[in-house]
Amino acid sequence: MPQPLNSKESSLFRTVVRNYEDKQYKKGIKAADQILKKNPKHGDTLAMKALIMNSQGKTEEAFALGKVALQCDMKSHVCWHVYGLLYRAAKNFEEAIKAYKFALKLEPDSSQIQRDLALLQVQMRDYQGYLVSRRQMLTQRSHIRQNWTALAVALHLNGELSEAEGVLTTYEGTLKNPPSKTDFENSEAVMYKNSLIAEQGDTQKALDHLESAAKHNLDRLAVLELRAQYLAQLGQKEEAAKAYRTLIDRNSEYKTYYDGDEFRDAADKYLNRMLDKGVPSTFANLKHLYSNSSKKNILPVIVQQYIDSDKSAANDEPKRNGDTSKGASAAYYFLAQHYNYYLSRDLDAALENIEKAIELEPDSVDFHLTKARIWKHYGNTQKASEIMEQARTLDTRDRHINTKAAKYQLRNDETEAAIKTMGMFTRAETVGGPLADLHDMQCMWFLTEDGQSYARQGKLGLALKRFTSVYNVFDVWQEDQFDFHSFSLRKGQIRAYVDMMRWEDHLRDHPFFSRAALSAVGIYLNIHDKPLSNGTNGIGDANGDDAAERKKAAKKARKEAQKAEREAAAKKNEPNKSTKEGDGEAKKKDDDPDGVKLAATTEPMTDAMKFLAPLLQFSPKSIDAQIAGFEVYIRRKKYLLALKCLLAAAALGKEHPKVHEQIVRFKLAMEKDMESVPPKSLEIIKSEFKLLPESTSLSQFNDEYLKKHQDSVQSTLSALRVRRLLAPDTATRCEKDVAAVIKLPSITFEEAREALELLRSWQSSEAASFKSSAAAKWPKATVFSSLT
Amino acid sequence: MDIRLLHPSDIPHVQHANITNLPEKQVLPMPQNQECYFMKYYLYHALSWPQLSYVAVDVSRPKKTPYDYPRIVGYVLAKMEEDPPDGVQHGHITSLSVMRTHRRLGIAEKLMKQSQRAMVETYGAQYVSLHVRVSNNAALRLYRDTLGFKNENVEAKYYADGEDAYSMKLELGFIREQILDEEEADEDADEGEAVGDVGKAGERAGVNGKEKSKKRKVRVGRGLGVGELVERNESHKS
Ligand SMILES: CC(C)(COP(=O)(O)OP(=O)(O)OC[C@H]1O[C@@H](n2cnc3c(N)ncnc32)[C@H](O)[C@@H]1OP(=O)(O)O)[C@@H](O)C(=O)NCCC(=O)NCCS
Repeated sequence: MPQPLNSKESSLFRTVVRNYEDKQYKKGIKAADQILKKNPKHGDTLAMKALIMNSQGKTEEAFALGKVALQCDMKSHVCWHVYGLLYRAAKNFEEAIKAYKFALKLEPDSSQIQRDLALLQVQMRDYQGYLVSRRQMLTQRSHIRQNWTALAVALHLNGELSEAEGVLTTYEGTLKNPPSKTDFENSEAVMYKNSLIAEQGDTQKALDHLESAAKHNLDRLAVLELRAQYLAQLGQKEEAAKAYRTLIDRNSEYKTYYDGDEFRDAADKYLNRMLDKGVPSTFANLKHLYSNSSKKNILPVIVQQYIDSDKSAANDEPKRNGDTSKGASAAYYFLAQHYNYYLSRDLDAALENIEKAIELEPDSVDFHLTKARIWKHYGNTQKASEIMEQARTLDTRDRHINTKAAKYQLRNDETEAAIKTMGMFTRAETVGGPLADLHDMQCMWFLTEDGQSYARQGKLGLALKRFTSVYNVFDVWQEDQFDFHSFSLRKGQIRAYVDMMRWEDHLRDHPFFSRAALSAVGIYLNIHDKPLSNGTNGIGDANGDDAAERKKAAKKARKEAQKAEREAAAKKNEPNKSTKEGDGEAKKKDDDPDGVKLAATTEPMTDAMKFLAPLLQFSPKSIDAQIAGFEVYIRRKKYLLALKCLLAAAALGKEHPKVHEQIVRFKLAMEKDMESVPPKSLEIIKSEFKLLPESTSLSQFNDEYLKKHQDSVQSTLSALRVRRLLAPDTATRCEKDVAAVIKLPSITFEEAREALELLRSWQSSEAASFKSSAAAKWPKATVFSSLT
Repeated sequence: MDIRLLHPSDIPHVQHANITNLPEKQVLPMPQNQECYFMKYYLYHALSWPQLSYVAVDVSRPKKTPYDYPRIVGYVLAKMEEDPPDGVQHGHITSLSVMRTHRRLGIAEKLMKQSQRAMVETYGAQYVSLHVRVSNNAALRLYRDTLGFKNENVEAKYYADGEDAYSMKLELGFIREQILDEEEADEDADEGEAVGDVGKAGERAGVNGKEKSKKRKVRVGRGLGVGELVERNESHKS
């Protein structure tokens, strides 16, 4: 029961609430203090004050005060509601839900509390709770269509499809007049209902419903697509073909509409036209044909004929601004891309053709871009970076080429040059410079590539910092859906909303996430295996230059943080320019800008879990995720979990080189370290671990694997690693065998680099000679030519 | 290349395409980033007008993992004006770009045409508007010569770096007529139904026949929350 106030103070209290809503926080605090002067234990006022303080960024004080408020008035729904809001702001949704529920018990008719609760429930995917809330909300206001639709959505999300459909039908029954045809909300509700029918698997009913209820629906494309799809599913071939024909007439560029391979055989005509016109993207538009080998072989022949016939000189297409290549140069360019493509690769031929093209048109951005890509494929990151930079200077206006130049710089570990390049297109005003802007703009590719470059350079702190940023962006993306739980209902676009919910459910299976997460786990594994003394993890190989550089960077970051603070303060003092979030919400300053603290961890395997858990949860079919999971769990001596990963990985690819190694390592661990395992678990492990044949010894198993995969470099390396582990006395032999992989016909320069790294990690004397033969074999690759 | 509707799950790659291609001009110093957006702003489009935004997908890319998402090489992000000052329902192009490696293949043109059609069909748009830098030749040719946009006027210093914008507009009446023609043809082909029932078709939502009132008053979508986005959107230009 809220404590009573006299009338003057009651009106002051209303002012406090209004001040809060209007984001006039200072005024709000003042008014609250006035009430508290006379009623220091007035719970609701204390709660409101806490809420305002929280909005001012004083989280801790706000929580403390919120607690005091509750102690003063346990029976006030305001106090509980505020307590929930504080938790909500701190993103502790479980506690927030609990607090809201208390508040609601005290004030069952409060639609505001009910609404706040419902939103959190759906955000947290507590569909059963959400359902209860939506039922309640419908009872309270059954005259609003939204509430009916919302209940249907809640049932739908909870898997009760026919009940959801039923709710929509019930509502339809209450309508006295048919809604107008321009009523978006109704139009969408019809389509939503149709999707519910289809999802229940009754295609015929869905088709009937579509043809009767959705005949004149506003979402015409959806009606046409669904109709074609239903007809096809029902085996009504002729009708389906007709329906797809209509769709192709609308949009001839959507292959899903074609049922067969309706590819143009007019390649010759097409190529001639495109080359005459000089369209640089011609190859990009045809490469999908390359999965068909005869088509793949015909295309370069046509282009060569085009060059030989000298037709290009006489082409009569007028030259246009923006056409970068014409006739012969376009043809050479096409061939260069052809030979650079992974399905038809011949890098020397590619280089030859691109040089000819460049000779004809020395200023073409696209030609240089392709030349850089050819060098990348040669394994020469330095030359690739140089040429991409050259391409960039040929058109400094174009952000695409700017992006490429920065990316190639990162691949060549020129991290500082890269951020400078990026800075040509980022906001100048952002505090913290280009890097801060790229964070703001959620530029995932940059964060990831930057991190991977730092990892290569051994700057593990900065690398972890970037991967953590990627992780945080995904948190933001998850949080982003929150507003749409109410917004979409009001907009009435239900199918799109459900679509979003389904996507958000598996948001972190995105390669943007897994790439960064796998890299981060890899770094934590490194830190675990080679802990560097007294928190110098961030500096890699304790190299003096790095340390100095880091100091410099830290100093710079400190300066920038100070500048940010100054500016935030200045903003606050401008009376008319209060920021949207209200006053006092300065950006929190980063106390670990270079990730030094991250890398100084003493518990790398615990920290790795932050990245590993979502990987395993959302990408269980990724063999790399399972392999990483094994590595972490085996170090943590969580053998059951390690086995679980191993079994999953083996199911995806038992012959995978890493899986092979892990099978052996698991067996070894079981033999050596089983005392620490509880007997129950041991029993399970013994009965589940059947990846090794009973009768063969480990070394036999390994030898068989090696023999079976002797043509594969990676499998060979893995088997040799295992052999050395099993029989350290064979070390010299193993090193020689590793060095011999260079003779395998299939070897790529990346694999050779892996072999070299292995030899180095063994401190093998073979390394030097291996490196020089690799350098001879791949004269253009940077990795083997450098002096290190 | 597939041209198809944008789904929420496409957004990370659409955002990637956007920040790779835009702003289309290097402005030193770039005072404001008007052409790149955070994820939520894309969601706002995809969830408010799910019929209007399209993507071009490179279907030739081999799958690398079971969790591959379609690779987006071009997109158009479009909306209906929430609160049209002239009271006339119309669409607006928020952002359009195509990866450099895929330009001049007609992708932008196709994306625009799909979006324009849906603006008419679903929302009864009378016209579509956009802004473009006066120096952006490629885009200007596309809008003016290929798609038939007309210059409304020059907005001086429209962009924060001081560059002027053309405010452009395309009347969509021709699409309305096209749809009516198609429907007539359709109904002609359908036995049993009345032949060429234009009057009926004209009543159809979004496909307001030309004889019907051209200026349909709009129900305003304000006050739906996500308010910051709406504000943001108005200060932002395509
Ligand atoms: C503008 C842009 C979207 C065009 O995309 P696109 O897919 O290459 O365009 P299309 O192939 O559909 O072009 C259609 C027509 O537009 C015109 N056009 C497009 N690019 C042109 C160029 N570089 N120079 C001259 N005309 C051009 C041509 O008339 C072309 O028809 P044609 O090829 O038959 O001659 C693309 O260049 C781009 O992404 N630029 C950077 C971002 C940008 O500027 N966005 C627009 C902001 S308002």
